[in-house]
Amino acid sequence: MQRKPLALAVLLSCAGLAPAAHADEAKLKAEVEALRAEVAELRGVVREMQAQRAPAPASPVVATPAASTGVAVAPAAAVAAAPAATTAAGQPVPGTGGSGVALGANTSFWGYGQLDYNRPTARAADAQADLTRAVIGFNHVFDEATRVYGEIEWEHAIASSSDQGETEIEQLYVEHALAQNYGVRVGLTLVPLGLLNEHHEPSNFYGVERNFVETAIIPSTWREGGVSMYGNTDWGFNWNVGIGTGPNLGAWDPAADEGRISPLGSIHQELQLAKARDPSVYAAGNWQGIPGLLVGGGVFTGKIGQGDATLPVDKSRLVLGEAHLRWQPGPFDISALYTRGTISNTQDLNLQFLGQPTPVPKSFWGGYVQGAWRALEWGSDSSLAPFLRYEMFNTGASYAAQPLGLGTAPLPTQHVWTLGANYYLNPNVVFKVDYQKFRYEDLVLGYGDRFDLGLGYQF
Amino acid sequence: MHVRWLIPLGAAVASPVALATQYLSVPQAQQEAFPGAGEFRAVPVPDAAALAAVGVPAGWAPQIFEADASGKKLGWLIVDQVIGKSEAITYALALDTAGAVISLEVLEYRESHGGEVRMPAWRKQFVGKTAADAAALNREIKIISGATLSCRHLTEGVQRLLRLYALALRAPA
Repeated sequence: MQRKPLALAVLLSCAGLAPAAHADEAKLKAEVEALRAEVAELRGVVREMQAQRAPAPASPVVATPAASTGVAVAPAAAVAAAPAATTAAGQPVPGTGGSGVALGANTSFWGYGQLDYNRPTARAADAQADLTRAVIGFNHVFDEATRVYGEIEWEHAIASSSDQGETEIEQLYVEHALAQNYGVRVGLTLVPLGLLNEHHEPSNFYGVERNFVETAIIPSTWREGGVSMYGNTDWGFNWNVGIGTGPNLGAWDPAADEGRISPLGSIHQELQLAKARDPSVYAAGNWQGIPGLLVGGGVFTGKIGQGDATLPVDKSRLVLGEAHLRWQPGPFDISALYTRGTISNTQDLNLQFLGQPTPVPKSFWGGYVQGAWRALEWGSDSSLAPFLRYEMFNTGASYAAQPLGLGTAPLPTQHVWTLGANYYLNPNVVFKVDYQKFRYEDLVLGYGDRFDLGLGYQF
Repeated sequence: MHVRWLIPLGAAVASPVALATQYLSVPQAQQEAFPGAGEFRAVPVPDAAALAAVGVPAGWAPQIFEADASGKKLGWLIVDQVIGKSEAITYALALDTAGAVISLEVLEYRESHGGEVRMPAWRKQFVGKTAADAAALNREIKIISGATLSCRHLTEGVQRLLRLYALALRAPA
């Protein structure tokens, strides 16, 4: 396109040469020289035009000097092209948070971590210190509508064949925005149930450990592979629906304790060679139309037999529902959650598990209420927030009926009081302390009064 | 039975792609904040000394526009960026001639989560606030659960722009 002026010049030159064919050679040479000069001049003009059309070099968002030139509006593209709240030297501007680290214009990474110390009050010999988790996340933007988002986690410091640690991909999905307020995600995503599962960074919850209800009943961090859609409205309603993998009941181990610690936590597949004959679906919504208030809930359901031919699990269906509320008026932070799950058609399966310690429950449930108070603040960053939480939960509230004498009694409902405090050195670094009081002790399931210390961070 | 769940998702994937992150352009933000304005004059960024007083180093470069109508000043629109969790949020703060917030608009949002800061109900909390309120905003502005970092950093951004107004834009008494 930029060659058009040149082509035009050549055509004009040819037109000019036609009559010159009848002149003598000297005159012809002179005319050729003159035309060469004109072409050279036109080349200069073309170069100038090319220079004007070329995009301006990337520059920070700089307002043009005041001028009486009428409507002086910098194009929005200038804002989009600008580095994210940085100085000319590329350093984050104070007051902009500084979370995450940019790796070029389209890629950033971040992380969080948690270190815990747990000391059972009755058994000091069982005290334990652990680098519970360290996570690195990344976000790469392909274009204005498409990104890939992922988190890689290391649990318990060392992951090797002779250690108890794990390395895992906690999230990995491609997100594509279909419009300003809705889009689609494909990959390994977090199940959007509860208050904690999608927001599990240690600075986002009170107490050293995640609460029991959103660990034992909703198995955080719970993720599944599949396709989901998300969206929001101007009146504060956010929604998320998806279809994908689900737990695998065929992997239930009646001889192990994990099924009583967390029924779904023991059979979720985490997209590791996941058996995927039976898709699960979920839907969740949250309303936040009043600042400080969050009301929401969700349901996850699917058949979870996954085609296992060795066990009678083909008809079993999981349904897990939850409802939650969080209210943050001023310095207070109050939340409540209730969740209940059922697994159907487990009678024949449990008959095969007779004599084993952990049959499959027919129902399991839990709920908690929690109140926190940002009691002290130092500057705009540091604060101390004591909290109190009361939880009730039962990982084996009922079992499918069996012939007389072969049934399984429900597990006793556990009650836990947690009293503690989060001290935020800054919004991204938190020191935690708490004391947990259990109604009954069960060393196998990890129930017992204890004192906890923790450190959490995110960037 | 399983296939029918895929139909709506498949239909959605086939929908035309739209720009996901730009909700308002700068001219649109100008017109929304000052519908009666006939002119938006770009104002130079204050010098390094003024920026230091605001608490940011030299090089910070918001776009500042003065809105006028028939020679009468209506206020300012300032376009700036803060980091949400790891991505930039581009926002526009409109101030009237007394320095009170007329509106806060999110022009572009790039994070995967936390976009609830676009909700009108949350942004309305800033309306009427002045430089005198800046220090207390962290306490007064209610946080959206799940969008904590975006809320906190946008609030800090507004505080910074209110300080900028007080130090560099406000007419001397």
